[in-house]
Amino acid sequence: MILSGWESVFFWIFSIAAILAGLLTVMARNAVHSALFLISSLVSVAALFILLGAEFIAGVQILVYVGGVMVLFLFVIMLVNVGAEEEGRAPIFNRPAQVTAALVFLALLAGILVIYAIPKGYQALQKRDESAMQQTSAKRAAEQANMPAAATGVSRLSSQTQTVGTALYTAGALPFEIASILLLVAIIGSVMLARTLKQEVAADDVDPEVLNEMKQS
Amino acid sequence: MNWLSPSLALMFQEASRTSTALESIKHPDLSKFLVIAAILFIIGVAGVLTRRNLLVIFMSIELILNAANLNFIAFSRYLQDTGRGDVMSGQIFTVFIIVVAAAEAAIGLGIVIALYRNRETIWVDEIDLMKW
Repeated sequence: MILSGWESVFFWIFSIAAILAGLLTVMARNAVHSALFLISSLVSVAALFILLGAEFIAGVQILVYVGGVMVLFLFVIMLVNVGAEEEGRAPIFNRPAQVTAALVFLALLAGILVIYAIPKGYQALQKRDESAMQQTSAKRAAEQANMPAAATGVSRLSSQTQTVGTALYTAGALPFEIASILLLVAIIGSVMLARTLKQEVAADDVDPEVLNEMKQS
Repeated sequence: MNWLSPSLALMFQEASRTSTALESIKHPDLSKFLVIAAILFIIGVAGVLTRRNLLVIFMSIELILNAANLNFIAFSRYLQDTGRGDVMSGQIFTVFIIVVAAAEAAIGLGIVIALYRNRETIWVDEIDLMKW
């Protein structure tokens, strides 16, 4: 897998944007700014997914993360005010000594991963897969030539989404159903967690002792 | 112009020696995606470890999960290119990670709201009832 030409230009633009936005997410003083930077980081990563040929996942990322989860985050940030941090009265990070130690070890981890482990591992992988890659690249070129052209005429339409859907409903059918149950549990759980005592009393399923305490106070 | 030629020759020599590094910058491959994902992951871990605002910690967790997604997609593409293994499983896994992240965010934000209603704070330093 090698990106060339404009693909590599877009790769550098979006990867640098993702990293910068991620850094600013962690460093911003205002939680709303953090959320907006996280949105731009997620969009940049979605663009990287498109570069990798996973259009469906990029669409899901934008719809679910940016359209759903981050809007939920913004609502909660606005419900829960964090004034002291924004005004600069309180430090945004924990105790400095522990933070320095954590950052030093993270830098060591990052250095070893980025400089040593990943390039070495990739070289070994490449040596193992070189012949297979050459065979499949010829096959893929032939397949792509047969695909219908896109409306602009520049590129070919991809059948990636169809392949993902087929795999999701055949090989991944059981996990898919379990995921639907997980989402149902999450809906019920968040409704249960977020309701007030008054709403619990209205639903008439509150412990009588708690009810007595509430009446006394 | 005669004095220029030795320096030009030296420059070309230098350029040819650094051409592999330049080539890898011009043509990013799997390892570049892994490096970007590792950096995003580490930024997320740093956020979880150092921030004291519970909401920002949640956002850092989302960043970590997203780095894992990027790894899955990059390896999925690599397997497609080599023709080895189950080529779609990386993307299927990513869909499930996004589902779990959505569920986690819903529950976590429910907890944040309940916590704020009871304790009037979302700073992790001040939430130490179970610490001894």
